[in-house]
Amino acid sequence: MNEQRKDILDMLAEGKITAEEAERLIAALERDQPAAAVVGARPKGKAKYLRVEVYSFDNGEPGRVNVRVPLQLLRAGVQLAALIPPRALERANAELHKSGVPFDLTQLKPEQLEALVEQLDEVTLEVDQADATVRVFCE
Amino acid sequence: MPQSVTVRVRRPAGRPVRIWVPVLPVLLVFSPLVVLAGLVAAVACLVYRISLLRALGTGWRIACALRGTQVDIGQGRTGVLVAFR
Repeated sequence: MNEQRKDILDMLAEGKITAEEAERLIAALERDQPAAAVVGARPKGKAKYLRVEVYSFDNGEPGRVNVRVPLQLLRAGVQLAALIPPRALERANAELHKSGVPFDLTQLKPEQLEALVEQLDEVTLEVDQADATVRVFCE
Repeated sequence: MPQSVTVRVRRPAGRPVRIWVPVLPVLLVFSPLVVLAGLVAAVACLVYRISLLRALGTGWRIACALRGTQVDIGQGRTGVLVAFR
């Protein structure tokens, strides 16, 4: 919390200003400092790694999986999709269909996967359970 | 391209084992096998009608992008770490 916002909340707590006045002051403060608010934020598209962290507690012992994958590696891996022979894609499609996943892999273009990887740096996934925590994010 | 691969294995009993593998010297030592693998890959590309140049380019891009990859798996006092640096 920045100093000015804290001062406003202090004045509100001390009864020097009303809640409406505090709200107006905070709104004015946010209007004046839109750039400052994002200084600490990571610029879009600057993430370098995809991180997957899993912490669990199995059989009375703590377990962990900590994977760091460069996004560059994902981008390179996407190019592999273009190398898969059409025959293999058709067979994979048939198997997917048999398993109840009607997904046409031949329609999946490397450009689409590339766009997906580009947007990954905004993804943060957290799953919390009593005995396990999973976190997927970019850094 | 990664300069080295570090593998660390921790076991409940005994000291942890740490192996540091310098990639380039190892590739040079195993260069005959690397050439053989390249030939097999080239034949596979021809059989499956895949552009050899494209496959080589993609393989090179993947090898270059490996740097920074780290996999750390542990359970209790047992653990394995593989890091490409």
